[in-house]
Amino acid sequence: MTLQLRRHQFADEDTLVMAIVNRTPDSFYDQGATWAEDKAFERVATVVGQGAEIVDIGGIKAAPGVEIDAAEEKSRVVDFVARVREAFPQVVISVDTWRAEVGDAVCRAGADVLNDAWGGADPELVDVAAAHDAAIICTHTGGVTPRTRPYRLEYDDVVRAAIDDTLAYAQRALDAGVKREAIVIDPAHDFGKNTFHSLEITRRLDEMVATGYPVLVSVSNKDFVGESLDRPVGERLIGTLAATTACALAGARIYRVHEVVETRMTVDMANTIAGRRLPALAIRGLQ
Amino acid sequence: MTELIPTPEVVSTPDRVVLVPGALALLPAYAAQRDPLGALRTAALTAVTALPAEVDVIATPQGARVAEHLLAATAGARRGAGRGLLVVGNGSAKRTEKAPGHLDERAHAFDDAVRAWLHGDGEAPEAGLGEELWAEVDPLLAAAKLVSWAPARVAYDDDPYGVQYWVMTWDGLSPR
Repeated sequence: MTLQLRRHQFADEDTLVMAIVNRTPDSFYDQGATWAEDKAFERVATVVGQGAEIVDIGGIKAAPGVEIDAAEEKSRVVDFVARVREAFPQVVISVDTWRAEVGDAVCRAGADVLNDAWGGADPELVDVAAAHDAAIICTHTGGVTPRTRPYRLEYDDVVRAAIDDTLAYAQRALDAGVKREAIVIDPAHDFGKNTFHSLEITRRLDEMVATGYPVLVSVSNKDFVGESLDRPVGERLIGTLAATTACALAGARIYRVHEVVETRMTVDMANTIAGRRLPALAIRGLQ
Repeated sequence: MTELIPTPEVVSTPDRVVLVPGALALLPAYAAQRDPLGALRTAALTAVTALPAEVDVIATPQGARVAEHLLAATAGARRGAGRGLLVVGNGSAKRTEKAPGHLDERAHAFDDAVRAWLHGDGEAPEAGLGEELWAEVDPLLAAAKLVSWAPARVAYDDDPYGVQYWVMTWDGLSPR
């Protein structure tokens, strides 16, 4: 369906690359490489130049660590969002936060999307999205507390749980006044999931797509890729792209990633195979 | 000779004749994001648009699909009186090393002779050599049983992928 990410609209067949921009000193993949504001801004310029439609700015790493309160989180992201908004009016700005207070501040600064990676832990986040006419990403975490790792979590059917929980979250967003076309669902690979869960989510992603909501996937360099291939962070790109292919064939719409160029090419190739995208050029054998 | 659609005997003497190549990339079923034959397509559509509403076609079965597409795409725009003839054919597909049939050194001379013949100058190409050079000249030979070629208006004459394409238009050709 048509996607409305605040002031940006996208057609049914569009796939979108969402580039991760960490304003953190300790995220797992970049280890603080873009912690300094100017480094983060350079990263935004780079990924926009590479064709990313969305930047996803985060001020707190997902894994457990030093407690970051709302004031500190805001100091990391709010002014930065304003700076990106000013410099790149055409790019969609998403902010990775679960806190309504932070969501409100970044929307005032120009953010278009609230990416709630923690599955609605703060019930007022949907009200903030509605108040600003912003989009919201509804993730499945199995009900875990933000910034905790999964420990012996099991599901009768992880895909059913992901669908039920994200649809329930989407309904809460609708009830709060968020527009249908501004709601995205995300099974949240590795969040509240072991590797077998994330693999099953990937294998059966078409069931989430069948809900009719646009599906976001965030598989980039994650542990389920690392465990599947026995590769540490830094050696997971090929596995990431293979998982991305599976998600693209199933019909995912948004890809939250570290590597923009490689992802765009992978998604385009998969969608061309699936018959949803025309080849760029076709003359071989057709002269 | 390759099977042609329809058999040339049923075609009446045309007031205007247009030649286009049988490139399958002209078909919508093979459309890509960028058009690899943009200039050829424009030339072909412009020439076919200037045909009368009533058009006979001489083509191979594959070429007939190209003709059908070009005629369908111009159906509302062709308003002229009289009868048109759309011939689908082209020169050699062995003009370069990257050509579908690789390079055959006879290809350029063959195509030059076909071009001259289409303008009313010289002998008809030999069908057997045309086949060897992966040219589609049978429809041209069949059309030449109806009319005598004479200097044509040339809208396109190029070989962007190693295949010789022409878009040509003739008016008031003498019947055979």
